[in-house]
Amino acid sequence: MISISLRNVCLDYPLYGAYDYSLKRRLLGHLIREPGEMRIIRAVDDVTIEAETGARIGLAGPNGSGKSTLLRLIAGVYPPSSGSITIRGNVVPLLGLNAGVNLDFVAEDNIALLLRISGRKPTQTMIDEIWAFTELEARMRRLPLRMFSSGMLMRVLFATATAFPADILLLDEWLSVVDEHFAEKAQARLLHLVSRAAIVVIASHDQPLLRRTCTRIINLDHGRIASTVTVEPPAAHALELREKRA
Amino acid sequence: MHHTQETSHETARRPSVLHIFKIYYPDLFGGTLTVIRDICASLKDAFASAVLVCSQSTEKRQIVVNDVPVERVRSFGNLLSLPAAPTYPWRLWRKIADHDLLALHAPFPLADLVFAFGFGRKRPLVVHWHADIVTHAGLRWFIEPLMRRTLRQAKAIIVSDHVLVDNTPLLREFADKCHVVPFGIDTSGYDWPKIEPHHVNDRGRLVLACGRLVPYKGFDVLIRAAAAHDFEAWIIGEGAERPRLMQLIEELGLTERVRLLGSVNDCERIKLMCLADVFVLPSITNAETFGLAQLEAMAAGRPVVNTALDTAVPRVARHGMEAITVPPGDAGKLGEAIDTLIRDPERRRQMGLAARTRALTRYSAAAFRQGMETVYRDAVAAPREQRSMNVEPPPATAWFDGIRIAATLAWSDMRHRYVRSLLGPFWMSLQMAIVVAVLGSVIGQMSNANVLSRLPMLALSMTAWTFLNSVVLDATTALQNSASLIRDRALPPVIFLLQCTFRQGLFALHNACVPLVLWLILSPHDFSHALAALPGLLLFLACTFALSLVLGAMATRYRDLKPIIESTLMLAFLASPVIWSSDMINHRSMVMRLNPLTHLFAVWREPLTGVHVDPTSIVYVLVVLALLTVASVLTLVHLRKAAFWI
Repeated sequence: MISISLRNVCLDYPLYGAYDYSLKRRLLGHLIREPGEMRIIRAVDDVTIEAETGARIGLAGPNGSGKSTLLRLIAGVYPPSSGSITIRGNVVPLLGLNAGVNLDFVAEDNIALLLRISGRKPTQTMIDEIWAFTELEARMRRLPLRMFSSGMLMRVLFATATAFPADILLLDEWLSVVDEHFAEKAQARLLHLVSRAAIVVIASHDQPLLRRTCTRIINLDHGRIASTVTVEPPAAHALELREKRA
Repeated sequence: MHHTQETSHETARRPSVLHIFKIYYPDLFGGTLTVIRDICASLKDAFASAVLVCSQSTEKRQIVVNDVPVERVRSFGNLLSLPAAPTYPWRLWRKIADHDLLALHAPFPLADLVFAFGFGRKRPLVVHWHADIVTHAGLRWFIEPLMRRTLRQAKAIIVSDHVLVDNTPLLREFADKCHVVPFGIDTSGYDWPKIEPHHVNDRGRLVLACGRLVPYKGFDVLIRAAAAHDFEAWIIGEGAERPRLMQLIEELGLTERVRLLGSVNDCERIKLMCLADVFVLPSITNAETFGLAQLEAMAAGRPVVNTALDTAVPRVARHGMEAITVPPGDAGKLGEAIDTLIRDPERRRQMGLAARTRALTRYSAAAFRQGMETVYRDAVAAPREQRSMNVEPPPATAWFDGIRIAATLAWSDMRHRYVRSLLGPFWMSLQMAIVVAVLGSVIGQMSNANVLSRLPMLALSMTAWTFLNSVVLDATTALQNSASLIRDRALPPVIFLLQCTFRQGLFALHNACVPLVLWLILSPHDFSHALAALPGLLLFLACTFALSLVLGAMATRYRDLKPIIESTLMLAFLASPVIWSSDMINHRSMVMRLNPLTHLFAVWREPLTGVHVDPTSIVYVLVVLALLTVASVLTLVHLRKAAFWI
């Protein structure tokens, strides 16, 4: 049983200023009894989310509303300040755009390294399949990623990250970078992942995209859940039909 | 005959409970101990109780107190309010399997240590939350993660009042597990024939307080209050504060009116409670969570003066109904409140009556027993699989995965060197060869000994030093350099500190070809020495890794540490016999003998040259390793927060 369960989760994010990084300053502050003021913002405030197999959750909200932080909480990057997080299933977080790539390495090596980081032993066929999905020219496999455009880079990363079924996939502003053709393909793949009993959580500003991809959209504001919208199932259905036609 | 057999069979089937606390009768008397004793006594039909505690007495380890077997683990005094009983965790671990239920009386970090490391998972755990850590609040950062892990494992948390859950952040996290079971009191013993509703003490000015003589009980406040008024104050209890309180009483000239009665047995105490006119609970910190003594006074029908703590204290005896509540630590207000009651016998009578009614109805022993029994039974009956369901995957495989990822990353780092240049890391070996050649010639000028025979050791020492130095320096920036993998791929930060050791290990293997070649050319080949050096080399590696872990994490949190670490390492290098050999320098140099680097090199260098290692070096290195291991464990706990720092 794969599930995400967040109960009354809060995260107090400490904002370290230049002085807070200094041990000397801190020790001095203790000596002269200077009240060390550590600024803390509540990045996630009393959030409760329950999700089970097949859920596709969209996180919407303005900049700084806590979308990425919430994804990182689920991924286990930040420990929650209070509340409980229960995750069952293995989480594949794809949050930053360049997570774990080395731009100096050639594309193929990067793919192999990323696969190893996510715990798989890369084989030639695996890499071939991933490359086929990116629809990039074969000669580019031997080029360092530094020479790729951001859209091309995104294709490679997306293809690698989604090559294997994940129990729980966390995406942050992922689909909006690539061009329309690839976005459709990416969505088809995401839907495919979902159909293989997975949970996907996507944070994005792109409301139409969220509506097309998700079953539930959570609007965040200042770290709180402002509203939750359930997207009508027919939307997803239409997309599946289109996928079959294509 | 048949009947007795059945009973014995019945007793055998009682589930057994192990009560875990720091101290027990007869070493101490106090509220928490009363609670444990009452639980053991009142549940004796349903549960077989046993107690595991520490004791400073050298007497028998196994004793029986009120029909309950008590094992006392030897403690060597108190350290920060905690018994220094190094074998306690071990004994606890051994005893866990013998019992069906574990009842931890918190706070007791020594036991948290056992549960935090995942021992005792197989047995249901109930935590009795007696108090938060108040006295040594500075240690919170260390103890709180341990307590959190314990609470996470617990099936149920028992508190005496709901206000504790509201006011304790740690408990709020586990609010759904908390059960409120107010302490109960067996009021039968308090039916002293003299207690009649109209009974009022003739003198009307005897004030009683009861508790261990420890700072948080606030008895000094009571004594100061007594100075400004003319009531008599008797304090029951014993403790470390006695000399200080005695001195205070003498200074204020109160020897006539204020008496420290010392320890008093139960029967006497009840008699005194019934005799007193006012009972005072002057506690000044939240360490006082309930105030069992005030409940006893209430059962005896006494009006209470207590303090406005954030705990159950002002809720057991409520202001204006059974008590007058004053701000904690305020001797003036406390004195006034006592005086008000002393001067008003009618109000005393009413409050006393209300207090007795409340004790009888709200805090009955029967309700306490029933509440406890329900929680215990549910905990024993709870299905095993329901235990802590958190993000933690089975640790063994997670560790293995982490090591594998670190190795993969290190390997890719090294391959990348080869991609950029033909020789790859051998450029560094070349550099090493040049350094050794130059240093060798310089040393040759300084001493007249045979330089050539010394070159292999010099090269090897330089290789090892370069390894240690680069691992630590790499580690200081490793987390920041891997920020995206930590924050975006949720990889555990420790992987990247491990990666430094692996990567530099690979480079060191490249560098090692310099000493290897020199050794093959210049030295007689004796492999047995190399074998003898192996344990020392492992110690060296372990210390290096632990050092890089600790310093790497600290330098990420405090950025100004990096230059300090750099210069300290350089200084340690210069003050150690890494490039000098032992006969070139005065071996009794104090700085050099204190320098850990000296011994860290000695443990593998001496066997390599066929000399026996000085035992002090071995001990020194082992102590350093032990300290580093402790520091590493603490670092690993804190690395959870690394994502905030980068």
